[in-house]
Amino acid sequence: MPVLDAFASLGREIAGLASPGILFNIFWATLLGMVVGMLPGLTATLGIALLTTLTFRMTPDDAITILICMYVGAIYGGGRTAILLNIPGTPANAASALDGFPLARAGRASEALGLATVGSFAGCIIGMALLALIAPQLAEAGLKFQSYEFFWLAVFGVVISGRLTALDDPLKGWIAGFIGLFAAQIGQEGIHAYQRFSYGSVDLAGGLGLLPALVGAFGFAEVLTVMKRPAHQTVNTIGGRVLPRVSTLLKSWWTMLRSGVLGTVMGIVPGVGEDMGAWVSYAAARRASKTPEDFGKGSTTGLVASETGNNAAVPGAIIPVLTLAIPGSAPAAVLLAALFIHGVRPGPLIMIESPEFVFRVAAMLFWAAVAILVLGLALTRPMLLVLRVRREYLMPIVFVLCVIGAYSISSRIFDVWVMLGFGVLGFGLRQMNYPMAPLVLGIVLGDILDKNFRRGMVLSEGSLEPFFTRPISAILAFVTILTILLGLGPIRRLTARLTNKAS
Amino acid sequence: MSSTPRRADFWFSIFLIAFGIAASVESWRMPRLENLGVDPLSAPGLTPGLLAIVITVLGLTLLLRRADGPQATPETAPAGWGRLALVLGLCLTYALGLLGRVDFLGATALFVFTFALLFSETGASWVRRSVVSALLAVGTAVSVTLLFERIFLIRLP
Repeated sequence: MPVLDAFASLGREIAGLASPGILFNIFWATLLGMVVGMLPGLTATLGIALLTTLTFRMTPDDAITILICMYVGAIYGGGRTAILLNIPGTPANAASALDGFPLARAGRASEALGLATVGSFAGCIIGMALLALIAPQLAEAGLKFQSYEFFWLAVFGVVISGRLTALDDPLKGWIAGFIGLFAAQIGQEGIHAYQRFSYGSVDLAGGLGLLPALVGAFGFAEVLTVMKRPAHQTVNTIGGRVLPRVSTLLKSWWTMLRSGVLGTVMGIVPGVGEDMGAWVSYAAARRASKTPEDFGKGSTTGLVASETGNNAAVPGAIIPVLTLAIPGSAPAAVLLAALFIHGVRPGPLIMIESPEFVFRVAAMLFWAAVAILVLGLALTRPMLLVLRVRREYLMPIVFVLCVIGAYSISSRIFDVWVMLGFGVLGFGLRQMNYPMAPLVLGIVLGDILDKNFRRGMVLSEGSLEPFFTRPISAILAFVTILTILLGLGPIRRLTARLTNKAS
Repeated sequence: MSSTPRRADFWFSIFLIAFGIAASVESWRMPRLENLGVDPLSAPGLTPGLLAIVITVLGLTLLLRRADGPQATPETAPAGWGRLALVLGLCLTYALGLLGRVDFLGATALFVFTFALLFSETGASWVRRSVVSALLAVGTAVSVTLLFERIFLIRLP
């Protein structure tokens, strides 16, 4: 699709969403997302998972708009906690705390919040533009994908996510990912309808629901984690100017553009997500800076880079969701599940079956970005109240919502048990430093891996050759195997020694 | 370095190996559906079996690298295991014991009240803590029920 046509379609969809009812939904959902993101312990993944269960009676367009606004709002909102309390509101905002908190300590909290807001807006808009441009091309390329390629995409997603979310100890990331892949095998399988590991139980035959599992791993596990640690400090007031100065913005435009592109690209890589979007943008900004020594001590460029990078990763992570049905990050995995629930069929055929949907999603992102800009700049001081909510009052409410969220989709009490089970499992894994993102990705990709592996084996009459010789398969296989090799302890230590020697 | 993460890694690796072996055996025992003319390469047990083998290998790697591998960072914050046990007990009682037996509104109000009261700051007076917890409990139970049942049209447990 030519560039101009893509932008014309995008413009039409943006105008189409500009009705009072839709804008009302956009603003409340984004505000709710910001609150969820700001509250330490509540993540974008949990926010989307809970809202998916609570909005599934709405029309698909309304529900998906609300979920995307929650996603954008939460990733943005987490930055405020990072700046004010040095605690990332969501994992995506860890890089923002490095420079945001020193700025706040130096009495420049308002300026930092204003810059983070504009950076997040810019990231989201750049990501949206790239989504409108890249998604049609990727969907077209996806038409060439067969079972072999989808099998490798699933393995690649889990391996790369395990590697990048547990940089110090990739083995733990892979263990989490493969536990997720295995959990997805329980219940009726998709080719011969055989009920695996169900042992006569009707509930187990239905499989472990993705949303109850996610609500448990991100909600109940978080309730346990938050209540176990000591209470955090609160912020009462901040002073100074929120609206960033034009001169500061002009100085940051290149950082925003670079971080926007890098963030989007990191978002597209399956399972990598917003936190890596922020870290990669931050690292690139430090490398390009004339004063890299300021980074970590209150550099506005560092803050802008990370906040632009994580919000750009949101549209980035949605690109493979729409075009390949492979999630770019943990929250995007929930969004993918929500699309299926609402009858949307993402995948390479989307540009043939409903091309307008891709641009509508981009338009939803546009309005969510506008909402964070308006709400973020207008409500800086009132939003501080959120950080004063006591955890002993918030956490029981979160748990009640987790129970309702797990139960609501199928009205099965078994789903509440799944939620509790994954909550305890998630808590235990987190205590042992296992990342959660690969687990989620594994649960989502398990079915794709299973169906495509067995289909591929049948098509190739038992030969593994096409898994390694078809061009795209070969590249994915190569990168996957390389990632595993480079993540192995002895090789990592060797490369670290060689790098040290070289430097 | 604390020995607790090492111990946790050891026991978790044993669990992974045992789980992986058990799951491999179970996958092997799954019917191949040959009588239905199913291609053996699409047998239901193929993928779970392979995944179970991978989990076993990952468990073995975790077990064997304990001696020289990277260690889990020990927690710097003081552990609150007592608080954790209390939270777990309350949540499980609410989700497994109360819901379905007691009316949703009553069960939720009771849960939120107990949770908030038990964990609220001890600095404030007992009466004040009880009143705040009771208000929060009633407010939450009523608003959650109304919002989800009436507006979002969701069935509550």
